[in-house]
Amino acid sequence: MHLTRSISILTIFIIFIASCSSVQVTEESVRESSIATVEVSTDDSYSTSNLAMSVSATVYFDFDKFNLTSRSIQALRGVVSTMSENTELTIVIEGHADDRGTREYNLALGQRRAESVADYLESNGINRTRLSIISYGEENPVDASSNEAAWSKNRRVEIK
Amino acid sequence: MKLYSKFLLIILIVPIKVNAQTVIDITQGSEDPYRLAIIAKEGNQKQTQKVLSIVSQDLKRTGEFYIFDNKLLLSLPQTEEDIEYREWRLLNCDFILIADIQETVAGIQLSYEIFDVANKEKIRSSKVYGITDRFRQLGHYASDGVYETITGIPGIASTRIMYVTQTSDSKNKYQLFIADADGLNEQLLLRSSEPIISPVWSPDSSKVAYVSFETGVANVFIQEIATGKRFSVINKKCNDCRFNEQISSPAWSPDGKYLSLTLYQDGNAEIYIFNINKKLLTRMTNHYGIDTESKWSNNGRKLLFTSGRSGSPQLYEIDLRKLNKRPKRLTFEGNYNAKGSYLPDDSGIVFVHRATNKFQIAIKYFDDNFVIPLTESKMDESPSVAPNGNVIIYAITENNQDILAGVTLGGVKFRLPSASGQVREPAWSGFLN
Repeated sequence: MHLTRSISILTIFIIFIASCSSVQVTEESVRESSIATVEVSTDDSYSTSNLAMSVSATVYFDFDKFNLTSRSIQALRGVVSTMSENTELTIVIEGHADDRGTREYNLALGQRRAESVADYLESNGINRTRLSIISYGEENPVDASSNEAAWSKNRRVEIK
Repeated sequence: MKLYSKFLLIILIVPIKVNAQTVIDITQGSEDPYRLAIIAKEGNQKQTQKVLSIVSQDLKRTGEFYIFDNKLLLSLPQTEEDIEYREWRLLNCDFILIADIQETVAGIQLSYEIFDVANKEKIRSSKVYGITDRFRQLGHYASDGVYETITGIPGIASTRIMYVTQTSDSKNKYQLFIADADGLNEQLLLRSSEPIISPVWSPDSSKVAYVSFETGVANVFIQEIATGKRFSVINKKCNDCRFNEQISSPAWSPDGKYLSLTLYQDGNAEIYIFNINKKLLTRMTNHYGIDTESKWSNNGRKLLFTSGRSGSPQLYEIDLRKLNKRPKRLTFEGNYNAKGSYLPDDSGIVFVHRATNKFQIAIKYFDDNFVIPLTESKMDESPSVAPNGNVIIYAITENNQDILAGVTLGGVKFRLPSASGQVREPAWSGFLN
């Protein structure tokens, strides 16, 4: 970590109020502060599993809901059977939300959606240690436009 | 496949000055503004005009001031003795500001006096000491003094705002900026290829905390503004927490010693209080519904948060001195009330409110049992209250563009358009002076 700093000029700050008149009398000094910039880079070329077998699926949710629909469960049955047959297989369960509502609430909602999927898989015999959960909230939409069609595509859990 | 195997490669710190990209644009002003004449004393008039033009812009930007065009004035008094109050009454002028700049070895010095036309008297006499060539800062300080003397409310021109931008440049997609309250003097704090959300200021405005996805999962960092020194608040390897290391939603306690945070370690968003020095976590909520977006009251006694426990997001409050009591629900109108914060005097809360299909910024005073919507767009988000309690900055979406907008409790509206990128997640600093 390299640090550069810019000079910080500081501040003497005086206020006095005249005691014997209604006039407000003040003296003050402008405070200057310095700012440093940080740059963060991530490396995407990390090693992935060598397993030839993989499973991927996407399930969708209603607005502000994290319960699984019967259609989602059909898709998840496929995930369960693949994972039961390939016991080395581990997956990432990624929860997402549409961009309506607040970012932090959507982050929590995405996490709950991922958790619903994990709970289903666990209750169908998949060991929890094979599942990683992550939420991106509303930060990674499939479709960035602002309409019902885009929103319904964005309220999802991706299994990778 | 390993989830947390993205590596933090480089942390590089360079002071970068970015050209101002935002200009304030008043969309709706007060119907009965204070009428003020601003006069530069003869002598060092050119320099004085420079500073006074900043003062004038700051005051106009509040939407509460009408500033006279000096060509329309009948006289330009240099001292109190020169003022013919009757003449100023005829002009319907409420206040006169007379100012003068002196340059000394130590720097520049602005002297100003304010006269009340109705009461025919001087109401303020002040000196502001500044650094040579830093006219903008000097002007902001002076305008805050003028604003406070005339309106009775502290000015906020010398405070700062922080926000996140997103551009299509994949390497520097997300950037965290600080700027003056007028949107100028923009300075970069952090850039990342991964999302940055929920930035907040420390109570003394020397540090910021935010959520960064740089490791592939949401995590909370604290960063010193002056040095760029930063650290992840909780460095833990999660053995027993069902594979969920995500942390989000930081909020500083008013004494700066604690952060409230949202942790997801047992499969659901719950609020904790984290002692920053002792690195101790205390759990505050325990419910199967989502609990997040905590904010401290300014007296430090209460914690406001969003909870989904009723079936839709609503605001609740924990009394930190009565932890055995159940959280108290504060909002009942509308099916979405979230991201709340207290007004500086703790007399009420400001939050995102959804009635029908619109997300609006709304306010609710504790003395009232109704919600007052402050904005009218469709997708208003992320309100942050200025330290004087009089202005709220928030994020709007317009033609697929995210920009910042503001509204005062008096109904004045303005926006800060951005030249490039999406601008969002605004956070207002505390008073800096």
